[in-house]
Amino acid sequence: MSNKILVIDDDNALREMVGIVLESEGFEVSYHDAGSGALDKFKSSQPDLVLLDVMLPGKDGIEVCREIRAVSGTPIIMLTAKTESDDVVRGLEAGADDYVVKPFDPGVLTARIRARLRPLGGNSEDTVTIGPLTLDVVGHEVRRGADKLSLTPLEFNLLLTLANKPKQVFTREMLLETVWGYHYKADTRLVNVHVQRLRSKIEEDPDNPKIVTTVRGIGYKAGQA
Amino acid sequence: MKLRGAVNWALGLFRRSLQARSVFSTVVISGVAFAVVGGFLSYSIGNGLFSTRLEQVLSESERAVVEVQNTFSASSVTDEIALQTLMNSVVPNLESSGSSDTRQIALLRSPGQSTAQILQSPISADLATEIIPADLRTSVRKTNGKLLYQSISLTVDGVSQPGIVVGAPIEIPLAGKYELYLVFDLSSQQETLDFVQGTLLLGGSILLLMIGGVSYFVTLWIVRPVRVAAAVSEDIAKGALDRRLPEKGEDVIAVLGRSFNKMADSLQQQITKLASVSKMQQRFVSDVSHELRTPLTTIKLAGDLIFNNRDKLEPAAKRSAELMHDQIERFQVLLNDLLEISRYDAGAVHAELEVQDLNGIVGMAIAGIEPLAMSKGSKIEIEIPSGEVDAEIDGRRIERLLRNLLANAIEHGEGKPIRVAVGMDEHAVAVSVTDSGIGMTRAEVDRVFDRFWRADPARKRTSGGTGLGLAISLEDTNLHGGWLQVWAKPDEGACFRLTLPRRSGVIFNSSPLPLPPIKGVKTAKEAKK
Repeated sequence: MSNKILVIDDDNALREMVGIVLESEGFEVSYHDAGSGALDKFKSSQPDLVLLDVMLPGKDGIEVCREIRAVSGTPIIMLTAKTESDDVVRGLEAGADDYVVKPFDPGVLTARIRARLRPLGGNSEDTVTIGPLTLDVVGHEVRRGADKLSLTPLEFNLLLTLANKPKQVFTREMLLETVWGYHYKADTRLVNVHVQRLRSKIEEDPDNPKIVTTVRGIGYKAGQA
Repeated sequence: MKLRGAVNWALGLFRRSLQARSVFSTVVISGVAFAVVGGFLSYSIGNGLFSTRLEQVLSESERAVVEVQNTFSASSVTDEIALQTLMNSVVPNLESSGSSDTRQIALLRSPGQSTAQILQSPISADLATEIIPADLRTSVRKTNGKLLYQSISLTVDGVSQPGIVVGAPIEIPLAGKYELYLVFDLSSQQETLDFVQGTLLLGGSILLLMIGGVSYFVTLWIVRPVRVAAAVSEDIAKGALDRRLPEKGEDVIAVLGRSFNKMADSLQQQITKLASVSKMQQRFVSDVSHELRTPLTTIKLAGDLIFNNRDKLEPAAKRSAELMHDQIERFQVLLNDLLEISRYDAGAVHAELEVQDLNGIVGMAIAGIEPLAMSKGSKIEIEIPSGEVDAEIDGRRIERLLRNLLANAIEHGEGKPIRVAVGMDEHAVAVSVTDSGIGMTRAEVDRVFDRFWRADPARKRTSGGTGLGLAISLEDTNLHGGWLQVWAKPDEGACFRLTLPRRSGVIFNSSPLPLPPIKGVKTAKEAKK
């Protein structure tokens, strides 16, 4: 079964071209051309992944990202023209999993998409516990006691990666490779922002984290130091 | 030491404070004026007192001389004893007559007479005849009945006082020539003069103090607005552009305030305008970035798709697809460079500094450029110090900068080896990239960092640089507070040396590596992959 991808971009030529590239790679593509109505299109097309332009008429991509994230954990990759500006960080904070900077190579785009759609493998256990949390690896669920916590697939992968090797310190580069699938030096802001988002969902006091802790100057680890 | 400190403090105050200087000058000038006026007053009062007293003294003396002469001329005494009695009566008579002031009398026999002196010269009890000047006595002897006088100084109770001695010749029958001297005391006049002078001095001093005080307050009153203006200027210079001076009244200070405020207004307007222009430019760059990047993305995706399927195309179309693919790459690099340099122009670039190993960054830059070096047949020789070369730098920018220097060296190195050296000292780290290629002339070196400048316009462009590489490299260097310097000689090669502070903000004044590079001294090692 081919994966469905929703491309939200206001530029007709780029939208069509991205569609051609993705379809030639075997994806099933649907399209939307504005910020307004994007959420309805998302609900009706039920995509496996969203490609979202940051600058959209009507409603900007960051707002759209927030709306989608409110109802679903579907992977979102932002298309951005600016690397230096706050757009990247704002998009990640709004819940985007990754971003691609224009102009991008078709190969880079499909690699980023596949990395987000690939299931996290290599796990022998069905359930993993970390502090007060229980991770159901098969069902992609996290519970604190009886309460189910709603994590996006990316956040789940991030937490599972840390939980699988408790006490090991992961550098940001290691997490970028394991969770995001980057084999080359990438933007460490991805890790920082998503760890913050993860903490806000799983920690009782996100300003004083106990489950995912920071190791100053190195990276992150599961459990307390 | 304490005194010197006080003097230094006073001098410092004098130099710094306009007010201190004004008060000091006013007091000094007034003091001099008072001294001149006071001196003149004191002199003329003293003179007036003296001449009044002198007139009185002379008229009294004249009466006394006539009386004494008459006494002797009219007397009919013939024996010495009677004459002596008469003479002795002269002194008490004269002492008690006339004004209330005390006077002293001496009736002295002129020396050098043929007749023998038998009679005693009568003298007032406490008069010392030595105080009568000898030259006065000589003059009196020569005169014919005229009164002569001279100012002298009397010592009364150990205190020196001014006085006048008046003398006249007297003819005493039977006894010969005598001289009558009357000594007058001027102490009461001196007292008056002292009192007047004291009053002048006291009054002058009080006046001087008051003038000092008044000028202190007046200058305070004038200097205060100036001080306020200075403080406000300082604030404006620090960036508080909306600070203004109070505009009260119509005087010169108010005019100063108004002019100053007008100046500040126009300054603020200009700066606000410039700031908005700069903001507009940044906005423009950002818009251009988005507007150009979206179509470029489409072109790139389309170009890549065609390029990947080029084997299915006719030979001409295939070659076209290849050319288009390369040129899209070039266009993308050029756009990135343009945007990068616009960001620098807009001041929107911030270094992400982190302490890291410069050797590692040099290694990554060389690894990144290796394919180009291989295709040109240039061998890269590296010479790096053992151990970590730690420096607080933006690794991404420095790697890009070094890649750029390496690409330049390869492009102009004519396939000869390229040497990369890393150096470190206490304050700075350095990397130099040296080629042995065509080099540059002095004039070319001067322009090497200019935008879109190429050493030889006719030269073939091989590696497809944008012409902005070195300009961006220089901006990156400045962002770190470092140096990017170049040495070159035609047909000998060129050397670019980058020197960076080891920690952000550290001032260094020499580089750990030499420029121009010393050839043959260093042992070049083979580049290790």
